[in-house]
Amino acid sequence: MTAHFVDLLDDLRRRSLRMAGLVEEVVKQACEAVFQADPEMAKRVVQRDADVDAEEVEVESDVIRLLALYQPVGSDLRLLCTVLKVNNDLERIADCAVNVAERAKHVDARTLVGPYEDLRQMGPLVEHMLHNAVKAYGSQAVNDAQRVLSEEDAVDALYGQIIRRLVADASASPAKIASFLDVLSVAKNLERIADHATNIAEDVVFVCTGEIVRHRTH
Amino acid sequence: MVNVMDNPPTPPTDAPDAPVMRIPLRRSPAKDLPPSSELVIRAESLTIRYGSFAAVRDASLEIPAHRVTAIIGPSGCGKSTLLRAMNRMNDFVADASAEGKLFYRGDDIYRPGFDAVELRRRIGMVFQKPNPFPKSIYKNVAWGAAINGYQGNLEELVERALQQAALWEEVKDKLHESAYALSGGQQQRLCIARAIALQPDVLLMDEPCSALDPIATARIEDLIDKLKSQYTVVLVTHNMQQAARVSDRTAFMYLGELIEVNDTNVIFTKPGNRRTQDYITGRFG
Repeated sequence: MTAHFVDLLDDLRRRSLRMAGLVEEVVKQACEAVFQADPEMAKRVVQRDADVDAEEVEVESDVIRLLALYQPVGSDLRLLCTVLKVNNDLERIADCAVNVAERAKHVDARTLVGPYEDLRQMGPLVEHMLHNAVKAYGSQAVNDAQRVLSEEDAVDALYGQIIRRLVADASASPAKIASFLDVLSVAKNLERIADHATNIAEDVVFVCTGEIVRHRTH
Repeated sequence: MVNVMDNPPTPPTDAPDAPVMRIPLRRSPAKDLPPSSELVIRAESLTIRYGSFAAVRDASLEIPAHRVTAIIGPSGCGKSTLLRAMNRMNDFVADASAEGKLFYRGDDIYRPGFDAVELRRRIGMVFQKPNPFPKSIYKNVAWGAAINGYQGNLEELVERALQQAALWEEVKDKLHESAYALSGGQQQRLCIARAIALQPDVLLMDEPCSALDPIATARIEDLIDKLKSQYTVVLVTHNMQQAARVSDRTAFMYLGELIEVNDTNVIFTKPGNRRTQDYITGRFG
């Protein structure tokens, strides 16, 4: 492969990492919008989703072009496949962030007391997971990626507690079902963001080692 | 020795080309074949020298039956020398010598008294440049069997060999025309038919597609994929995509050393050696 291809691959990787940074910021803003009841921040999240979508299309086009023109193998092939998959995860994370932000006008942060504090805890935990997944993606460090995989259980546990509490409360107070659904939506989207962060970490393990660790118990 | 005929007259360049054929998208992966624990060729610490220069150094390699094994590596790495050692073609090079062991079906082919002529009948060879004899298509295929005392029906043998080489339909009505009237791709398939007519056990192919266009190359690759059900194939190629497409096992050589041998899928997705990785991704040198 030519030095030109290596340069193009580096450019693509940098572009994908820039997109990852943008998505990280969007998730942070979505959490702020909900937990600090900031509707202006929520609007900004929705607006920035268009930037993420456009970037996703550009990165995907670049990957397809490099695959078609250079037929890479070995670590280059693994990297291109990973960029394509991470690209998809990043776009979906941004969509989840929009869903979270759209709940900002409905979820009253002041009501997040008692067991619903779990939801408030989920935000930083998910942000932390995503940050570490993106960091591992940037440095292509297997150890960092594996740490992300081990963090998923904590998010799932919080999500499970919230669901159990919602089921109990909705039975007791059916009139408040709309509020409960808002809380459920935020929790569900945060949990999905954690899943996508896990996917990214699994892809980092693949790009570094060639091992596919998806669907394994981490 | 039928298949040994280097430097034949240059075939006409305006010969009709093969009809356009669908380029196969999927070849039979090794996993679709029965497991092959049967070893046809085994090299043990093999060193091949030209004078004092060691072109292949301390190579150990196993060639399983009914698989395509590709040998890749940069020019001058020793891959053709290793291939030619497998049927003792290097005997024709005045100052070539071999150390170590090279077994064909358990028998050391470099032991004193080994019948190299019979070995070359069992291990046929196809060269980089198509090298048909200046004879008819029929005689190209039949001659080797005839001089080896073939007792069966020669016409049936010729038809069978041409069919196995996927050439029969194109030449059945002009068997007695000159082989030079065929296109380059057809000539190469004729050379494969000529090798097959001797009913070999192994086919050695030394860059068999390097002189062919992409369509003719696709036909040869398709043919190699079919041939492995009956023969064991060892292929030297400069074209890494070709090795990836047609082979089940890939050996990477560098500066006379056999660096890595593994399933082709592994070599081209997660090679174990840094030098293999650098070579297949073009970062060598």
